[in-house]
Amino acid sequence: MKVKRSWTQQRDAKNARMEKVSSLLNGKFAKTEDAKEILERLIEPNDKVVVEGDNQKQADFLSRTLASVDPERVHDLHMIISSISRPEHLDIFDKGIASKIDFAYSGAQSTRVSQMISSGRMKVGAIHTYLELFGRLFIDLIPNVVLVAAEKADRNGNLYTGFNTEETPTIVESAAFKNGIVIVQANEIVDQVPRVDIPGDQIDVIIPADKPYELEPLFTRDPQNITEIQILMAMMAIRGIYEKHNVQSLNHGVGFNTSAIELLLPTYGEKLGLKGKICRNWELNPTPTLIPAIESGWVESVHSFGGEVGMEKYIAARPDIFFVGKDGSMRSNRALGQVAGQYAIDMFIGSTLQIDKYGNSSTVTAGRVPGFGGAPNMGSNPTGRRHSTPAWQAMKTTDNPLDKGQKLVVQMVETFGANKQPVFVDKLDAVDVQKEINMENAPIMIYSEDTTHIVTEEGIAYLYKTDSMAERQAAIEAIAGVTPVGLRSNASQLQDLRNRGIVALPEDLGVHRGEAKRSLLAAQNMSDLVKWSDGLYNPPAKFRSWS
Amino acid sequence: MGEFWMFPGQGYQHAGMLQNVPRNLIDKVYDLTGIELTDTDEVYQDSIQIQLGILTLQIDQVNRLKKAGINPQIVGGHSLGVFGAAYAAENLRCEDAIRMVYQRAKLMQNAYHDGYGMGVVVGLSRTQVEQLVAQVDSPTEPVFASNQNSAVQIALSGKLTAIQKVIELAKKNGAQTAKLIKVPVPSHSPLMKNVAQILSADLQKIQIVPSQIRYLTNYSGMVTQSVDDIRYDLGNNLVHPVYWEQMTDVALEFSPDLIVEFSPGHAFSKLIKTKSDIRTFAIDDYGIEDSLFLLEKWKRG
Repeated sequence: MKVKRSWTQQRDAKNARMEKVSSLLNGKFAKTEDAKEILERLIEPNDKVVVEGDNQKQADFLSRTLASVDPERVHDLHMIISSISRPEHLDIFDKGIASKIDFAYSGAQSTRVSQMISSGRMKVGAIHTYLELFGRLFIDLIPNVVLVAAEKADRNGNLYTGFNTEETPTIVESAAFKNGIVIVQANEIVDQVPRVDIPGDQIDVIIPADKPYELEPLFTRDPQNITEIQILMAMMAIRGIYEKHNVQSLNHGVGFNTSAIELLLPTYGEKLGLKGKICRNWELNPTPTLIPAIESGWVESVHSFGGEVGMEKYIAARPDIFFVGKDGSMRSNRALGQVAGQYAIDMFIGSTLQIDKYGNSSTVTAGRVPGFGGAPNMGSNPTGRRHSTPAWQAMKTTDNPLDKGQKLVVQMVETFGANKQPVFVDKLDAVDVQKEINMENAPIMIYSEDTTHIVTEEGIAYLYKTDSMAERQAAIEAIAGVTPVGLRSNASQLQDLRNRGIVALPEDLGVHRGEAKRSLLAAQNMSDLVKWSDGLYNPPAKFRSWS
Repeated sequence: MGEFWMFPGQGYQHAGMLQNVPRNLIDKVYDLTGIELTDTDEVYQDSIQIQLGILTLQIDQVNRLKKAGINPQIVGGHSLGVFGAAYAAENLRCEDAIRMVYQRAKLMQNAYHDGYGMGVVVGLSRTQVEQLVAQVDSPTEPVFASNQNSAVQIALSGKLTAIQKVIELAKKNGAQTAKLIKVPVPSHSPLMKNVAQILSADLQKIQIVPSQIRYLTNYSGMVTQSVDDIRYDLGNNLVHPVYWEQMTDVALEFSPDLIVEFSPGHAFSKLIKTKSDIRTFAIDDYGIEDSLFLLEKWKRG
C-alpha cells in the first residue's frame, strides 16, 4: 500500500529554520558578532552536526562559537569531526552541548578524548577510517548542519578553499543536497574569488571569521633530527622493498623514517641506478623533505590530501608535479586522496608505536586514544583490486592462475621506542583500551593480514611469503631485536628464514651498516631544503633555527 | 593560548626559601594557625612547617605575578600543590587555603607513626608496576601503585616492608631505579581514607568559587571548572594516585604558550621538557625578581 505523507518534510523543516535567522542575514551574509545567535537558532537538540576539523585546516571560529552556545537551547548534539584537533571540540562535550561523536583522528587531543570516553561524557559511534566516515555522511550519518571554513567567499557565496581544500567539498556535499544547512566561516569576503572551489548555491550562511582559520604545519620534518639508525632502515627499505618489488606509486607515513627515504633517493637511490624506476607517482601531503627528490627529477606527480604551511610558492612554481588550479594554488582533497591511497597505489609505508607477535599494529597506548588518520585506509589491502603493476603482481606466492597480487603494506619501526619501551609486544595496549572504553572493535591501526613487510634496524620480515601464523610469528621474532618477542628467536631459525628469503638482514641486501651516515642525506637541515627549492619553500618560524 | 602554572608539593623545601615572602603574609599564617614559619632546616623536619611553608611561598609568588598582570589559563598542583593551584585559579581564598593546609598537615602527621611511607620505580610502566604490586599486596602487607609522574615513573605507597619487596621485584624486572623516598606517610593510597574523610568534611564548610581558569584534578587527571570536582580533589586527592602525567598531557593539549613551575624546585619543568618544546621554566631557575622580569618581557612580546 502506498504511504500517505508529505515527501518534502526535511526541505520544509530546513526552510522553517532558515526563516528563524532571516532577520540576521543580508542575503547569505551574517555579521561576525551574530554568529552565536545564528548557531543557537539554526541548530536543534539531537542534530547531527559536522564541524570541519581536518588534519590541517580548522573551522575554529565556528567551533569556538559552538562551544559558547547556551546548553539549554542547544544540547545532545551528535558531532561528526574527522579530526578532533582543538580543545573546544571537547569543551562542547564538557558543557553538555554534544553527547555523541563519530571521528577518525584525535592525535592532538588523545589524552582528553580517552578521559572523556572513559568517564562517559562522550559516547563514541565509532573510530572510523577516513573513507568510512566520509562515506557514512551520505548513508546514515547525513548531517543536519555543517560548519566549514573557507579562505575567501565572494558576493555570490562562491567559496575559495585553495591550497587547504581538504574535506570542505565532501562535507558541504553531504548537507547541501540532502536538506542540511551549510554554514561557512570565511577569512575574507571579496568581490570575486580567485577560483570557485565550491559553488555558492550550495551555501546557506557565510560569517566573516574574527581571525583567519588555524592551520597546523603537521608534516614538516627537520632533517636535522633524522638518526643514523633511521638512515640504515631507509637504505634497507630502498634495496629490500622499493628496488626488489619495483615500487612506482606510493604513500609515505609522516615520520622521520620515511623522511629519511625521501632524502636518500637523490643520493643512495641515484647511486643504485633506480631513478625513473621507482617512486614516480605519489599520494602524499606536500612534505618539504620530498623537495630534493622532485628537484633531481625523481618525481612525476604528487596528489595531496591537504596543504603544508610554507610550501605554497614552491608548489605554485611546479604545476607539472602538483595538482594546481589556474589561480596558481594547489587543490587538495582528502576524500579523493584517501581513495587513491587505498585503491590506486602500489605501496603504503608507515610507522607505529606497537606491533604484536602476530603482526597487528596500533598507536593506541594506555590512556591515549588518538585514532589513526589515513593509515587504516592506506595500510589495508582492498581484496577486490586487480592491479597490473609489477609490485602488486610480485606479491603472488603461488602458480595458481587465480592467485591475486596484493598491495604492499610496510611497517617500519625501531625495536624499542619512546621511554625505551619495546615496540614488539605479546599483547597490544589497544586490547586493554578496548575493554576500558567498551568499544565494539579493538583499536587496531593495521591488521596483520594486510601487512606484507616489517622493517626494523635488525632486518626485513617478508610476511607475505609466510604460509602459516607460526611462520609469520617466527619471521617477526627474527627481526624484533632484544624485545621479549625477539628473544624467542634463535640462530638456526633465523638461518632457515634467511635461506628461504622470508627474512633478510642488512648484509643479505648488500647494505653496509657503516655506510648509514647522515652525510648521505640530500638535505641535512631546513636551510638545505630551502636551497634545494631555489628559495621558494618558506618554513614556518618554529623550524627556522638558522639566521 | 595562555599559560599553564604548575605547583609542586613536598620534597624540595629548603631553609631560606621564604626570604622574599613579605612579613604580613607570614603574620597572617601565624594569626590563622598559631604557627610561626621560621624557615630553617630544623623546622623542615616537621610536616606542618613544610606544608604551610610551601603554600605560603606559592601564595606569595601567585600574588606577585597577578600584580604584574600575569594570569594562568590552566593550573595543576601535585599533591599539596593543589591548594596553591586552586588559589591561583581563584577557586580558593587565601585564608581558606592556609587553614585547610594546616588541618591537612596536622591530620597527616598524626595518621601514621612509623613503618609506612612511599617509594618510586623508574623504568617500568604502570601496568608492569601494578603486576608487581599485586604479587605483594595483602591485608597485613598493604602496598599500592600510586602517583604517576611520567609514563615510566610510578610511586609506591604503603607499609615499608611491602614497598621494599616491590622494589626488589622491580629491580629484578628491569627497572632503572627503585628506591624508598623520604615521605613518612603512605600518601595517595586508600590508607589515607580517615584523613580524607575529616578533611572533606571541613572543606564542605568552605566556599569554592567558580572561575574561568581551568583546574587539573589529581584524582582523575582531567581538566574541570566544576566546584564540586575541585572540592573533591582538595579533600580526597590523598586517597588517589596523583595522575600527574595525564594532567600535564591534558595541559599540553591546550597548547599553552608558556609553562611556569612555582617554587620550590624544578622537577616538573624538567619532566615537561622531555616531552614538549613549549617554553617552560621554574621560578627557582631565576629567582622571583628575574622571573617576573622575563614574564613581563615575554608578555609584551
